[in-house]
Amino acid sequence: MATAVLASAALALTACSGGGDGGGDPAETTLSFFTDKAAWESSFDDMNDASDGVAPQLDFTGYSDPTAYDAFIKQSFRTNERPDLFTWHTGDQLAELVDQGLVAETTDIWDEAIADGYVTEELAENYTYEGAQYCVPMNVVYWVMYYNTQVFEDNGLDVPTTWEEFIDVADTLVANGVTPLHQMNIIFEFVWFQAILAGLDPDAYDGLSDGSVSYTDPPVVEAMEIWHQMQSDGYFIDPGVETDPQVLLQSGDVAMAYFGTFFTGQLNDLDMVSGEDYGSFLLPAVDGDLPQTPVIVETGPLCVGADSDNEEAALAYSQWWMTTDAQSAWSESRGDVSFNPEATVTDEGLAEITTQATSDDSLQMRRYLEATPNEIYTVASEEFGAFVTNNDDPTGHLQAIQDAADAYWADNS
Amino acid sequence: MSAPTARRAELLPRGNKPKNPYWTSSIGFVAPGVLLVAVVLYLPFIWTSWISLTEYNGLGDPEFVGIDNFTAMFADPGFLVSLRNTLFWVIGTILLPVGLGLLIAVLSHGMPNATWFRLPFLIPYAISGVAVGVIWSFVLQTNGALSQALSFLHLPGADLRWLLDGPLNTVMMILAASWQGAGVNALLFGIGLQSIPKEPIEAARVDGASGFTLFRTMTWPMLAPLTTVVVGLAIVGSLKTFDVVWAMTQGGPGRVSETLALTMYKETFVNNDYGLGAAVALFLTVITVLASILYLRRQLADSRAM
Repeated sequence: MATAVLASAALALTACSGGGDGGGDPAETTLSFFTDKAAWESSFDDMNDASDGVAPQLDFTGYSDPTAYDAFIKQSFRTNERPDLFTWHTGDQLAELVDQGLVAETTDIWDEAIADGYVTEELAENYTYEGAQYCVPMNVVYWVMYYNTQVFEDNGLDVPTTWEEFIDVADTLVANGVTPLHQMNIIFEFVWFQAILAGLDPDAYDGLSDGSVSYTDPPVVEAMEIWHQMQSDGYFIDPGVETDPQVLLQSGDVAMAYFGTFFTGQLNDLDMVSGEDYGSFLLPAVDGDLPQTPVIVETGPLCVGADSDNEEAALAYSQWWMTTDAQSAWSESRGDVSFNPEATVTDEGLAEITTQATSDDSLQMRRYLEATPNEIYTVASEEFGAFVTNNDDPTGHLQAIQDAADAYWADNS
Repeated sequence: MSAPTARRAELLPRGNKPKNPYWTSSIGFVAPGVLLVAVVLYLPFIWTSWISLTEYNGLGDPEFVGIDNFTAMFADPGFLVSLRNTLFWVIGTILLPVGLGLLIAVLSHGMPNATWFRLPFLIPYAISGVAVGVIWSFVLQTNGALSQALSFLHLPGADLRWLLDGPLNTVMMILAASWQGAGVNALLFGIGLQSIPKEPIEAARVDGASGFTLFRTMTWPMLAPLTTVVVGLAIVGSLKTFDVVWAMTQGGPGRVSETLALTMYKETFVNNDYGLGAAVALFLTVITVLASILYLRRQLADSRAM
């Protein structure tokens, strides 16, 4: 609680020193901007260069602890000094802010951006609450399989295009004494659950997010059994190894790592070269008969604080942010994909992933973390963490998550 | 006050006692301190107590739900694991950092250049709990330094999953915390040993006491006031254990190594259940205060009886 009080006080002081003006030319305005992505400061500096003269400038304040950041933003809404612009999370957490009327509506900006081809309608679903849109996408992340090209070459392997081929690749690696896959028991403990279930039965995966499907229903149980079998077959690295996944992929201690496209930046930081040292591919669907390959998509919002000092200018910035110019600058600075299909993505591997993920052959699905109500996710992450660690009978874990889901949907159906 | 004046004051009806002429100005001196304590200590406590009776996600207005958070807290198996682990921490902290601290202090007492013997134990105290956690994670992770060393020396235990299996992970984290905490306890006990008067010890020696008998019958009882402080601090500190665990396992895998302080933090800031988090905070506060009062009252009563 004391932290929260201090955080509020800090925000009040920061905001006091900044000063705000409600009107005037948005391009002349400096917005107070808060984010939990402290490490991305240089990219936001680049965006200030890109927006110079055409859109507002950002006064950057970065947090490196996401939990502390979330508490700080929430507390700031209890003061009179709300952030003009801040990054947040989609799903349940954005719904909470929308419910309280704390973020400005952006429906007009979305309508225009969709009409201009800056963004897909599919993505808008992540930002829609009761027919209206709130916030704009700061970034988009596709969850794909990264692999070490040298390891693939040494073991005579090709990029798999079906689930059966993927299993063959893993079996060959195990037989040759190479650990095929990376896995973690914290933070990203849920990703293999989402990958397998979405690829096995996308409707069941979707149904979990609105309570229409139970965690003890047959498709979910089957997905867990597949995961259980993969763990038993020695496909995954021991979750007790705490070495960074990019280092493990670089050294060949794991041949593949299932991660969001932000992982490209982490590999590049190790001087690994896309297409030479590592490659990426969309994970084939477990059920080969699916008409489209499910691709997990994660998107983080850039939100305007309702009734903040510079609300209008912040909305103007949000509008500019979605344009092709802004997104090309962002993609270049971050070395990452963009939600804007028109934006130039310089990394050829990422450009190819973007093309595949946005094609009609792919079905974009929300990441499990954002698709699941927070109260259920909390229990699920603990259960998946324990399952990854112990590889025990999945039934008990699924029942524990379903108990949490029952309790949640009883209050929120 | 002379006797007749005091008697007159007693005879006067209440409210008619002669006022301290500095009464008004004394308020001015006391007020800033009282206000500070009220704002930074009492108000947050009252606010937390109120929040524990509500459902609140940090936004909007808290909704009163009575004692629901407390019933949910005691019904949660994860909370009971957390309570068990916290108890491990209390016992472990008293046995290891305090016990080792005492051992180091006693062994080095009277030694020439004792400071040099004690100094290495004190160095880890200078680093933060989080840094201790990071260092020991490196040692204890699967295939980490400890496993590699055991394997190299052909000793058993190389296959143990030090940080993955409970309650082994809690035991290992207590050891990591002991590495950091033993030195400062040795320092405190060292000061205690130096302050013991030499005469009774010499007299006991003349009477034939030496070694462990001398320690048990003379040194230990005379060290009691300091032991009370060291153990009291250890109890309070261990009940609040957070940083080492957060850095090493984040309470996992699952919730197997959580402590009460971690449960409080996770429920509040990770799960956004401020009501339940406040209930855990209140529970933690009550047991910390109760443990301190019970322990100190007993110890101080003992020392008065001596």
